[in-house]
Amino acid sequence: MSIDRSAEVVGPAAPAVTRGVTGSPGGRAPLWRRLARDRFALAGGVVVVAYALVALAAPLVTHALGVDPYTYDLDALGPTGAPAGPAGGISAEHWFGVEPLTGRDLLAVVVMGSRTSLLVGLGATVVSMVVGTVLGLVAGYFGGWVDWVVARLIDVLVGLPALVFMIAIGAVAPGWFPRLLLLVLVIGLFGWSSIARVVRGQTMALRSAGFVRASRALGASPAHVLFRQVLPNLAATIVVFTTISIPGAIGAEAALSFLGVGVPPPTPSWGRSIGDAVTWFSVDPVYLLFPGLALFGITLAFNAFGDGLRDALDPRSAAPRRRKGGAR
Amino acid sequence: MTTTSRTGRRAALAGVAVATTLALTACNANAPEPAGGETTAVQQGGELHVLTSSTAINWDPATSQNLAITTLGLVERRLTSWRTDPDGTTEVVPDLATDTGTPSDDGATWTYTLKDGLTFEDGTPVTSADVKYSVERSFAPELSGGLGYHKGLLEGGDDYTGPYDGGELDSIETPDDRTIVFHLDSAYGDWPWIVSMPAFGAVPEDQDDVETYATDPVATGPYRVAETVEGTSVTLERNPEWDPETDDARAAGPDSIVFELGQDETVVAQRLIADSGTDASAFGASFVPPAQLAQVQQGPAKDRLVTSGPGALAYLAINTEAEGLDDVDVRKAISLAVDKNAYRVAAGGEISGDFATTLVTPGIPGREEYSDGVNDAAPEGDVERAEQLLEDAGWSGRELRLVVQDDAPNLARAQAIQQGLERAGLTVKIVPQAADVWTQTVTQGDGSGYDLTLSSWQPDFPSANGNIQPLFHSSQVGGGGYNLARYADPEADELIEQATQETDAEQAAKLWVEADKLILGDAPVVPLIYTKNSFLHGSKVENFRIPDFPAYPNYLQVSLSR
Repeated sequence: MSIDRSAEVVGPAAPAVTRGVTGSPGGRAPLWRRLARDRFALAGGVVVVAYALVALAAPLVTHALGVDPYTYDLDALGPTGAPAGPAGGISAEHWFGVEPLTGRDLLAVVVMGSRTSLLVGLGATVVSMVVGTVLGLVAGYFGGWVDWVVARLIDVLVGLPALVFMIAIGAVAPGWFPRLLLLVLVIGLFGWSSIARVVRGQTMALRSAGFVRASRALGASPAHVLFRQVLPNLAATIVVFTTISIPGAIGAEAALSFLGVGVPPPTPSWGRSIGDAVTWFSVDPVYLLFPGLALFGITLAFNAFGDGLRDALDPRSAAPRRRKGGAR
Repeated sequence: MTTTSRTGRRAALAGVAVATTLALTACNANAPEPAGGETTAVQQGGELHVLTSSTAINWDPATSQNLAITTLGLVERRLTSWRTDPDGTTEVVPDLATDTGTPSDDGATWTYTLKDGLTFEDGTPVTSADVKYSVERSFAPELSGGLGYHKGLLEGGDDYTGPYDGGELDSIETPDDRTIVFHLDSAYGDWPWIVSMPAFGAVPEDQDDVETYATDPVATGPYRVAETVEGTSVTLERNPEWDPETDDARAAGPDSIVFELGQDETVVAQRLIADSGTDASAFGASFVPPAQLAQVQQGPAKDRLVTSGPGALAYLAINTEAEGLDDVDVRKAISLAVDKNAYRVAAGGEISGDFATTLVTPGIPGREEYSDGVNDAAPEGDVERAEQLLEDAGWSGRELRLVVQDDAPNLARAQAIQQGLERAGLTVKIVPQAADVWTQTVTQGDGSGYDLTLSSWQPDFPSANGNIQPLFHSSQVGGGGYNLARYADPEADELIEQATQETDAEQAAKLWVEADKLILGDAPVVPLIYTKNSFLHGSKVENFRIPDFPAYPNYLQVSLSR
């Protein structure tokens, strides 16, 4: 994933001006080796890669297993609509059992659901990172009224009950608007405050650094200074924030789908499966198990990986002091 | 009228109206149950709780669609009401009136006499003028949305706009304080059932306020509204002016009744299964959701689950005005491609209904099963024939918008329809809409917003008329009507009108069967299942029964054990 890029950017460019953002090049083991020493992070990384592969190849996976998340199998259900047989209808044909009332294969639903989760998770994170970084940079570099406006925006956003607004927007959005895009935008645009705040702070510190003043003195445009001089120094921060934001965004998608304002059925989504499963829990607890585990797994993996990545990039935060992940 | 319902709706069973004229009271009203069914004498006292997902109770008789035996019936009496017996029969009985109506020789004029000594909750006597006023106000445009069968039957009803403009409806006469006469456009045999609808109660003109009557009605029944906490609860207490001697339809067991509003259906079911505290004295007004239905059937609460017989018709409406769907062969292909079995499973399996093949529902007098080669295809559908029909019709392959209400049960059912149709190569997009928006989309305007929609219909009185006229007469297209298929066929209209006017019950039934066949032959809707409704009640609740018609419990008889 983003390991190579960050290593490349962080390496040569940056004088270590700011508080531990950059990995200083001299004398330390390469990033990936430091990362590899952190077993927890490594496991997280492996799991993330595995999820990504499954999501990318989801149609192939389900095809190979001969299952499909849209095909009903009413024979797998009992007379009440609950899965026939014990353990949620787990059988040789349906490894994860079947969905009540439809008989759709739960393995296929979970596998295809990973696409929704990862797509929305990554998409929303990209949106919030881009918005947050740009606003943070601009605010921190120019100061004055620009800074004031952005800082107030951040304050408002932090205080806002984001989920309530997301639900409201999800409920009133017109039917023709693509639902996935809506989720990406809504979750992304409510999630940029933390990255913006950090970027703003670091840019303020960098503003007075020698190399920045030098480029300004040489007549560089603000855009050049911001994006060629300051931004590369923030790369590590952004990478780490991105990694630990993704599980939050995936969770937000699941929450919205759980509440019925996510992707419309029958598009598989872990959140909606979990929402449905809750009402079935006393009859068919296995229904909750697999979508729940899938969501739990990806969130944990991204957090572990993001944590490790931050430790690896920032020697001072390594070892015992381990901050809790999750930007949201 | 309508759709999958909440606090109660329509009804139908029993035979023809006039059957039960003078079964007058005389006996005391806490009616000892007739022999036959399990008889529990009606216990007096206690506080009954009704758990409902509705967020408000509309007590205004002009705008309510309540059945005679549900919520409104507790507070407001009508000219006639329904008595349900433990053996399942429902008959229309006199309520405010002394009998179920005396028709003139031509069947077009009906005369009622009010019982002696009836009063409102404040002690003022109920007069025929109050009944007339109540009916008149149901014509006012600001009070639309109630059951409106009478509006098309009363002489001059089409042009009348209610009493607030100062006009009276001349076809309702009140020669004295206790007599009221209705003049109809033509003979109408089911009129005694029509006057059991909410509008035929009594509203005192000097206490009428269009804005507040819906929350603050003037009671004539055994209870009056004591307290309303908006969005949370409505509490009823006994109305001391109500005289049980005059009432055949109501047992009035509990001392007070609390409606707990805005309850989640799943939570209600779990509370009733747990049966603790006041929930032991409660029943759920909403259907038990499929997951809890499966749970209850396996657990100890099973004997507190009450399931109706087949009641409402659940159907898929095809917008016959939409592009390509005006072709009857395409509609037949859709009918054949639908997977009724998947639909029924999505609705909760076998307990949720029987497969439907006709428009007239079981239990309606004169109903006939028939086959036109499409309606009685296997429940799984006939995909091959559907594909063939589509090919021959040159179907464009465009995407069909299936507009449904945005809640879990409807979405589950919509997906079952979607996967059925997609087997035949049709492309279906589910468009979930909030309940109000959905109603707007499918019942108002030009209908350009949908191709398919799901609904269900319980007739408001036990006659095929209640099955067919509201759903398929061209006058019910748009403007709030429930002709969701936007089906307009002059021949069908004529047949419906002819059957409505037929006073001979047997002959009328024949005409309705003919209409059933004619309309379904054009495949404007796909009958899916005759729904069975399941309700749960607490362990102290007694006399909680669902008659054959309607498929809803009779609130008026429910009582609590000590």
